[in-house]
Amino acid sequence: MSTLLEAIDVRKSYGDFVAIDGISLAVGEGELVSIVGPNGAGKTTLVNLLTGLLPPTSGHVRFKGQDIAGIGPVMLAKHGMARAFQLVHIFPEMTVAETIAVAVVSQTGKSMRFFTPVRKDPAVNQRVREVAQIFGLERKLDTQSRLLSQGEQKLLDIASAFALAPEVILLDEPTSGVSSGDKHGLMRNVVDAARKAGVKAIILVEHDMDLVAEYSTRIVAIQAGKVLADRKPDDFFNDPEIVAAIVGKRVGRLAAGAA
Amino acid sequence: MSSFLDILIGGVFHAAVLFLVAAGLQLVFGVQKIVNLACGSFYALGAYFGITAVTWCIAHGMPPALFLPVLIVAGLVVGLIGPFIEALLLTVYHRDEAFQLLLTFALVLMFQDVLRFFWGADPQQLGDLVMSYGRVHMGAIQVPTYNLLVIFASIAIALGLGAFLQKTRFGRILRATAENREMSLALGVNVRWMYASVFTLGTMLGTVGGALVVPTAAASLDMPVELVVEAFAVVVIGGLGSMRGALVGALIVGLMRAAAISWYSELEMLAIYLVVIVVLVARPGGLFGKPLE
Amino acid sequence: MRTLQAVLLSVALVVLLALPRVLSQYHVTLVLPALAYAIALLGYNLLFGYTGLLSFGHALFVAIGGYGAAVLSSRLGLKSFELILLLSAVTAVLVAIPIALLSVRYVKIFFGILTLAFGMLFHSFLFKFYNLTGGDTGIRVLRPTLLGRAYEDLDKTTWLVGPFYYYCVVLLVVLGFVMWRLVHSPFGLHLVATRENRRKSEYLGVRVRFFRLIAFAISAFYCAVGGAILAINTGQADPELAYWTHSGDLVFMTVLGGFGNFFGPVVGAFSYVFLKDQLVGMTQYWRFWLGLILVILVVLFPRGLAGLFERMWARLHRSTM
Repeated sequence: MSTLLEAIDVRKSYGDFVAIDGISLAVGEGELVSIVGPNGAGKTTLVNLLTGLLPPTSGHVRFKGQDIAGIGPVMLAKHGMARAFQLVHIFPEMTVAETIAVAVVSQTGKSMRFFTPVRKDPAVNQRVREVAQIFGLERKLDTQSRLLSQGEQKLLDIASAFALAPEVILLDEPTSGVSSGDKHGLMRNVVDAARKAGVKAIILVEHDMDLVAEYSTRIVAIQAGKVLADRKPDDFFNDPEIVAAIVGKRVGRLAAGAA
Repeated sequence: MSSFLDILIGGVFHAAVLFLVAAGLQLVFGVQKIVNLACGSFYALGAYFGITAVTWCIAHGMPPALFLPVLIVAGLVVGLIGPFIEALLLTVYHRDEAFQLLLTFALVLMFQDVLRFFWGADPQQLGDLVMSYGRVHMGAIQVPTYNLLVIFASIAIALGLGAFLQKTRFGRILRATAENREMSLALGVNVRWMYASVFTLGTMLGTVGGALVVPTAAASLDMPVELVVEAFAVVVIGGLGSMRGALVGALIVGLMRAAAISWYSELEMLAIYLVVIVVLVARPGGLFGKPLE
Repeated sequence: MRTLQAVLLSVALVVLLALPRVLSQYHVTLVLPALAYAIALLGYNLLFGYTGLLSFGHALFVAIGGYGAAVLSSRLGLKSFELILLLSAVTAVLVAIPIALLSVRYVKIFFGILTLAFGMLFHSFLFKFYNLTGGDTGIRVLRPTLLGRAYEDLDKTTWLVGPFYYYCVVLLVVLGFVMWRLVHSPFGLHLVATRENRRKSEYLGVRVRFFRLIAFAISAFYCAVGGAILAINTGQADPELAYWTHSGDLVFMTVLGGFGNFFGPVVGAFSYVFLKDQLVGMTQYWRFWLGLILVILVVLFPRGLAGLFERMWARLHRSTM
C-alpha cells in the first residue's frame, strides 16, 4: 500500500504557543483515516497543515512525495487533494450544475478558455451529471444553490469537491448539522461515491464516534498537539484509557457491547 | 531646519483634523459595520457651513476673536443631519456591502451638487481671521496660535473619546454592542437608538473637523473626494475599527502630505493622491487591522 | 440565447440602424455617447457584475481612450480609427495591469478607495501637466478615417451621424458578442465563482487573483474604446473625462440598467444619456437628481431596469399559463 499523504515530525508554533508538537502520520491508498480529539487539541491546525494551507514551523508535509507545505488551496486542488468544510460553503446564485462545473473546469484544465460556451460543453455536462447522480442531486441540477435545503447544500459542497477527481479527499465534520437519522446515510453515500469516483484515500475529521467506529480503517487521536493514538478501530476502542481520554464515557455501539 | 519644523507643525495640524474624521469613521464602523464614503462630504459641509456661520456672526457684530467657538457650534449643528442619513443607510444594512458603498457614493454625488447649490463653485475662505489669535514663536518659525489650539483640541477630543469609551456606562455598552449586537439586544439595550447616536457622533466629528480647518484652508468642491481617500488611507494604516490606529494613521498621513506638498508644491493635488496610494499599497503589515482579504 | 432575448436584440438592432433616418441630427448625436457608454459598460460590468469588484475609478480608462484618440490624431497625425482604437485600448490595458496588481488583493471598500485614488491621480496629472496634456482645456481630437476612408465631402455632423454612427453600432455588436462569449465561457464561470465565494472557489482550483486581473484588464480595454468614441464625438479630450464624478456616472448607469444582467449596462447607458439630456435641460444641478435616483435604485430596485423587466416578464408568463 503506497503512502499518499504524510506528515513527518510536523511542528507548528505561534510565538510561545505550540499548537502542533511533533506529529507524524501517514495516509495510504485504500484507507479512511479519522482524526479525532477534543476541541482545542489542534485538529484544525493539523488539517490546515496537511492541506497545505499553513506552512509548518518545522517538519515536512508531503503529498505523493512532493512537499506541499503552504502551497494554498488552488495548488492543492491541482496536486489532487480536495477538502470539504464543516460550515457549508456554496455559491449562492449559481445552480447545482454550475457549482459542480466549476470543479470540472478546473480539473480538465479548461479555465483559460475564453470563447467556448461552458454550458454546451458535452464533456463537462456529462461529468457534472455523473457527479450529481452519485450524490442524488441530479434532479436539482438547475436549482440555485441558495434555494437548496441545508442537507442538499452539504451534499453539493462535498460533491463539488469530488468533481475535482481528487486522489485524497479531506472531509471536515461532514455530518455536522445533519440530523442523526441522516448521518449514516450521508457517510455511506460519501464512501460509496469515493470508491466510484476513484478516490484513493479519505481523511475524516469527526466528533461522532459511531461514524468513526463504523467507517474508519484507522483512527488517529490528537490531544494537546500530539498524537495520542494511531490505531485500527478495534484496537482503538478496546483500550479503555484512550476511549476515556477521547470519548469521555462509553457511548453508542460501545455501550451496547457491540465492540 | 525651519522648513522641517514648518512641515512638522503643518503635518500635525492636518493630522489633528484628519484624526477627527477618521475617528468618526472608526466609531461608526466599529459599532455598526457601516463604511461611510460620504464622510468627506460631511467634512466639506462643516467647512462651508462654518464659513457661513462665522461670516454671518461677524456681520452681526460678533467680535472676530470668537470665531473658534462659532466654528465648533456650526460643525455640531450641521452634524445633526446624522440621524437622517443613518435612517437611510438602515435600508441597505443587511444586504451585501456593495450596496452600502453604492448608497454612500450616491450621497457623495448628491452632496456635491448641494454644496455647489448653496455655496457656488468657487472656493471659499475666511481670509485673515486666523490671525486674530496671533502667532507663537517656536524656535525659528512662527506658528499661528490657532493651529496649536486646534491640535490641542483634537488631542483633548481624542482623550475624551477614549475616556468616554472606556469609563462611561454608555461607552461600555457601545463597545459591547460592537462586539455582540444580539447579546446587547437581549440585554435590553436600545440598539436602534444607539446606532443613531453613534452615527450622529461620527458625523459630527467629521463636520467639526471640516469647520475647524477653514481658517487655514479654503473650502472647495474638491474637498469631499480628497478627504475621503485620505481618511481611508488613515484607516488602512490604523486598521478598521481601531481608535489608536486612527491616531497613528492620521499622524503618518498628515506628515507625509505636508512633506510632499512642501517638496513638490506644483504637484499639490497629485501629491495627496500619490501619498494615499503609497500608503494604501505599502501599508506596514499588521499594525492594527486587516484590510487585505 | 433564449428566443425572447434574440427577438429583442434583433428589434433593438434594427431600431438602432434605422435611427439616423428617423431622428433629427441632434438626437442622433445623443445616441453616439450612448453607444460609447454601452461599450464601456460592457467592460465595466465584467468587473462589477460578474467579478464582484466595484471600482470608483474606471473613468481613468475612459480618459485614456479619449486622450489616446486626441494625442494620436492631432499630435501624431495618425488617421486610422482602427489603429487609434487598438493603441488606446492596449495602453489602457498596460496601465490597468499594475493598478490591478496593486488593487485586487484588497477587500471591497479599499478596492473602491484605491481605484478612486488612481482615477483622481490621473485626473490631477491631466490637469497639472499643461505642456503635455493641455491642462484643463485638453487636446483636440481630429476626425479619423474609417476603414481607410476619409469621407472628406461630409461635414463633421453628417459624418458623425452617418458613417461613424454605423461603424459604432457595428463595434457595439462585435464587442458585445465577444463579451457574451467571454461570460459564458469556462473563464466566465470561474470569474463568477470568485464573486460568489472566494474561498470555496480557491478550493475548487480557481485562480482568483489572476482571473480578477484579467477581468480588470478587459474592462479597461472596453472603457478605452468607449472613451475614444466619446472624444471623437465631442472633438476634444479634457480632464473631466477622468474626474471621479465621471466614474460615478459609470456606476450609476450600471446600477440603473441592472448589473445582474448581461444587457443591463447597455440599457443603462441609453437610459442615462436620455435621462441626463432631460435633466440638464431642467437644472444645472442634475447630478443631485442622478444621485437621488441612484439612492432610490439601490434601496428599492437593486436589479435595475433589466431586473424590473425580467420580473414583469416572469409575472406575465406565469399569469398566462
